[in-house]
Amino acid sequence: MGFLCNWCSYGGADAAGSQRKIYAPNVRVIRVMCTGRVEPEFVLKAFQSGADGVLILGCHPGDCHYKEGNYKALRRYYLLKKVLSQFGIEEERLRLDWVSATEADKFVDTINDMVATIKALGPLALSIPALAKGVSADFQEDTLV
Amino acid sequence: MKSKVGVYICSCGTNISDNLDFDELVSFTSSLEDVAYAKVHSLFCSEDGKNFLADDIIKESPDRVVIAACSPKEHEKTFRDVLQKAGVNPYLFQMVNIREQVAWVTDDKAAATEKAKAYIRAAVRRVSLNEPLEKKEIACNTDAVVIGAGPAGMESALLLAKAGRKVYLVEKNSFIGGRPARYEDVFPKMECASCMLEPGMDEVLHNEHIELFTCSEVRDITGFLGNFSVNIKKKATYVDKEKCIGCGTCYDACPVKVKNEFDYNLSERKAIYVPYTGALPNVPVIDEKNCLRMKGEDVICKEAFDLGLITQEEYEKNKTRECSLCKQACMFDAINYDDKEEIVLKDAGGIIVATGFELFDPAVLFQFGYGKIPEVYTSLEFERILSQTGPTAGKLLMKDSREPESVAIVHCVGSRDNNHHEYCSGVCCLYALKFARLIKKHLPSTSIYHIYADWCVPGKDNQAFLDSVKAEGNIRFIHTSLPMRADIMQEDANINILCTDVSGKKQEIFADMVILCPAMVPSKDTPALSNLLGITKSTDGFFAEGHTKLAPVSSNIEGIYIAGCAQGPKDIQGSVAQGAAAAGQVLSTLVPGRKLELEAASAEIDENSCSGCMTCIGLCPYKAITFDKEKKVSVINAALCKGCGTCVAACPSGSIKGKHFTDQQIFAEIEEVLK
Amino acid sequence: MAFYWCASCGGCEEAVVDLAEDILKVVAAVEFVFWPVAMDFKVKDVEALQDGDIAVSFINGAIRTGEQEHMAKLLRKKSGLVVAFGACAHLGGTPGLANFINRKTIFDWVYLNAPSVYNPDGILPQQKTMVEEGELTLPEFYDTVCTLDQVIDVDYYLPGCAPPPDLIMKAVEAILSGNLPEKGTVLAPDRALCDSCKRRDTKPEKAVIKEIKRVHEVLLDPVKCFLDQSVICLGPATRDGCGERCINANMPCRGCFGPTSRVVDQGAKFLSGLASIIDANDEQGIKKVIDSIADPAGIFYYYALPASMLRRKR
Repeated sequence: MGFLCNWCSYGGADAAGSQRKIYAPNVRVIRVMCTGRVEPEFVLKAFQSGADGVLILGCHPGDCHYKEGNYKALRRYYLLKKVLSQFGIEEERLRLDWVSATEADKFVDTINDMVATIKALGPLALSIPALAKGVSADFQEDTLV
Repeated sequence: MKSKVGVYICSCGTNISDNLDFDELVSFTSSLEDVAYAKVHSLFCSEDGKNFLADDIIKESPDRVVIAACSPKEHEKTFRDVLQKAGVNPYLFQMVNIREQVAWVTDDKAAATEKAKAYIRAAVRRVSLNEPLEKKEIACNTDAVVIGAGPAGMESALLLAKAGRKVYLVEKNSFIGGRPARYEDVFPKMECASCMLEPGMDEVLHNEHIELFTCSEVRDITGFLGNFSVNIKKKATYVDKEKCIGCGTCYDACPVKVKNEFDYNLSERKAIYVPYTGALPNVPVIDEKNCLRMKGEDVICKEAFDLGLITQEEYEKNKTRECSLCKQACMFDAINYDDKEEIVLKDAGGIIVATGFELFDPAVLFQFGYGKIPEVYTSLEFERILSQTGPTAGKLLMKDSREPESVAIVHCVGSRDNNHHEYCSGVCCLYALKFARLIKKHLPSTSIYHIYADWCVPGKDNQAFLDSVKAEGNIRFIHTSLPMRADIMQEDANINILCTDVSGKKQEIFADMVILCPAMVPSKDTPALSNLLGITKSTDGFFAEGHTKLAPVSSNIEGIYIAGCAQGPKDIQGSVAQGAAAAGQVLSTLVPGRKLELEAASAEIDENSCSGCMTCIGLCPYKAITFDKEKKVSVINAALCKGCGTCVAACPSGSIKGKHFTDQQIFAEIEEVLK
Repeated sequence: MAFYWCASCGGCEEAVVDLAEDILKVVAAVEFVFWPVAMDFKVKDVEALQDGDIAVSFINGAIRTGEQEHMAKLLRKKSGLVVAFGACAHLGGTPGLANFINRKTIFDWVYLNAPSVYNPDGILPQQKTMVEEGELTLPEFYDTVCTLDQVIDVDYYLPGCAPPPDLIMKAVEAILSGNLPEKGTVLAPDRALCDSCKRRDTKPEKAVIKEIKRVHEVLLDPVKCFLDQSVICLGPATRDGCGERCINANMPCRGCFGPTSRVVDQGAKFLSGLASIIDANDEQGIKKVIDSIADPAGIFYYYALPASMLRRKR
């Protein structure tokens, strides 16, 4: 799952397209106006919905179209990584990086690198239990204690 | 709730259809729940395509529209306009990028098709959650406050006045013209500075649209673009501008003599004074700190009488009272001792900050001897010496009235020096050459030394200027390395200067006078003004421009512009250009009769949900969020919000809605695209 | 009315007792058909009821054993309304923190490795065992703690550890009068704690976090906002309605009321708010502040881990 900001990284991804650069197809991009909009709930939602890795790409520090949104994203990113490791999710599954609107190569390299990293780690395989382990969802009279 | 989603898929000629299974994509899309139909076209962005789209939408009247084509950065606006004209709210629309981010970057057709399907499926789900946002407008004031009446500020004021806007020009000094009011000539054409500035200054004083406040400061501002309220403090000057004709009789009468700061203490002035002959407005002010009456001293009359400044009669009349010599001398009753400080409130739509620069104080670099050795001057001090209105009436004289036989000019003092200012101020080499030329003009046989690190002479005429000064001869150039270091010591009647040139050789010279070219630094009110207005500074202390290349006169606050040396060191030409640019910003953003359009996809705080935790307030770079102390909730000013969503993400109780990028919309997109 | 406890501490039962005289009003209006802590009803009494006979069952405690799951389902079947009573039923509560580990880790510690355990033969409890008289069974102990609504359909939630008496009375009165809000509502105000916290007025408008201290590392000022004292307080991310019992005892909020209705994952939202105001923009500066937070996941998900998006450690 990739969260790309409208002004820089999404433009970089488009630039990769204009230059017909081929990269791994297993990334799904969601466009936001600024990485400042990206919050931990989005990342967790992505993992919960089946993403094996999450990539947040924003403007380079100092270049944020909205001045400082990318710094807020950076702050949340580091704390979220720490919390994710406590959840047993490898740190490499979440990555934040900076790609400007002209950095087609950097975009492609970042995607390919991330895909390779995730492939090496394997699928996330979060088993969000619908119920506690091993018990059927239907109520059964004869399992009374 | 079921939506009727109309999907339009573009083949972009064959750009898209060549690289994925187009038919499969179309049939997949048609089969999606909520999708009423999936139609194709080879080029939706063409006139034909747009017409097809508009007509079809009118015919089919879908609730929502999805267009799968190129990047939204390419044509989202195009299609939003089409939808608007076809009667569909432009925000009930989602654009899917299946060209730049799918067809053009995937070589496996099957994978590309899957990716495109996922994106379309996600967009269909997301668009059902989109809301029909309406663009809002607010009325705006089209007048401006300009802070600083130097070249930049005056240019802004004049252009705005020309367009009929009211300009409130606030100047902290008693005179206008800024730094150049101190110069005799300006490089590279060696024009007379006052002649150059005079017409503009005159216009500033007499233009009916410009209200000039001298000896004034901006104390507070509230509001936002188009709706500022500015609080101006007018100091008491004790002289009525309307009555005074500038004859100068009052300052002749004043018995107090103090150092004149305009001349950097190289000359004296009275307690009632104009800083220099020809200062505009030509109205003196009373210096409260030194005026005997204001200080409460009444011994003056006796002293004045003893000095023969007043007659016996005047002495008898005045001796038991406070000094009123200036008032008595004035034939136009222009002096008013009861003048008080006044606070004036003005409304404006835009603010231009043109507060200029000062020089780095070279006293901290002990080796240069500034402040210890009497004949070591800064460039601005030397400008006064050269000026006809200065301490020596323009004659090149040392403090003991001798003519200097040798003058050394030291470049880069405190500049290009990581311990002080790492930047180059860009004008010093040029005025150093100006000095050389003027020294030669006054005293042709005086030797001149330039101790320099590099020649910074960009621009159309400046290289030629350097060449012509060099060609005059009798100038010795000592090329040193950075940072500029020279040991300057007083040795008997001479000044001894020791430095090392680039080849490592020690150079020793003797001079009668030394002129230092210090770095240009932001004027000392910059930090306070930065806090007051909420505009950011860059690491070097100057006000930060919005973008180095593309927004040189914008600040981080909409409606507040910066111009001239307040933004960074530059020459007069640069300051005037920025002054004009800032005026241009005001003229184009605030148009009489036109309302300001606000970002529709902005953030909104529900006051029934907000708990007043204030987490969001410090996060907004546009200061769009304030705290309502009565309701104890945070409030977003829709006129300032740019819709970045930073506050939306940070709100710990989820009370800020990021319109068009709500949690629900993004969650839906995430869920659907990963299925 | 029925009152049942699952993986809980008994505090919620005591909360009912805390109603003091008001309990008489409740007792007068209702008939308790099942309340293990207070009355001697048996499960078969519940089984004998018709479906829907119980007007409302208040179930507290999280679900982590087979018995609790079974009882929750039984009560659901026999009840008109089910109210998840207390933080454990609502969010998983502190028992939910066990979702950072699993059954094996717990059993190994409790029965084998804890310092005071003497179990040389390494005997672990089993679900079934044969004795002379026949087969004995114990409820299955699950790996994962669940909230009540992850196991059965829940109508309303009374949040808090434990829900305060006034909130309980309001809920009971609403049920008795039939004046109930939309199904699924949490029966507490929908604003964060800061709304009624007395310390809010001491907060600077543009607060920043330069470091985090733990409550024992700082002499806590009884008037100033905790976040302003560099101490983590989950107030901004926690629903209001508890009466600031902890705050008034000079301890920061730990989030027991859970998030507002606009937030899905309380820990994640709090993380976002806290991190956003860290006073640094570079990796080094940010990490320095984060390193001062010992166990962020444990603090942010103190009460709401099973209800969170990830639910448990992988």
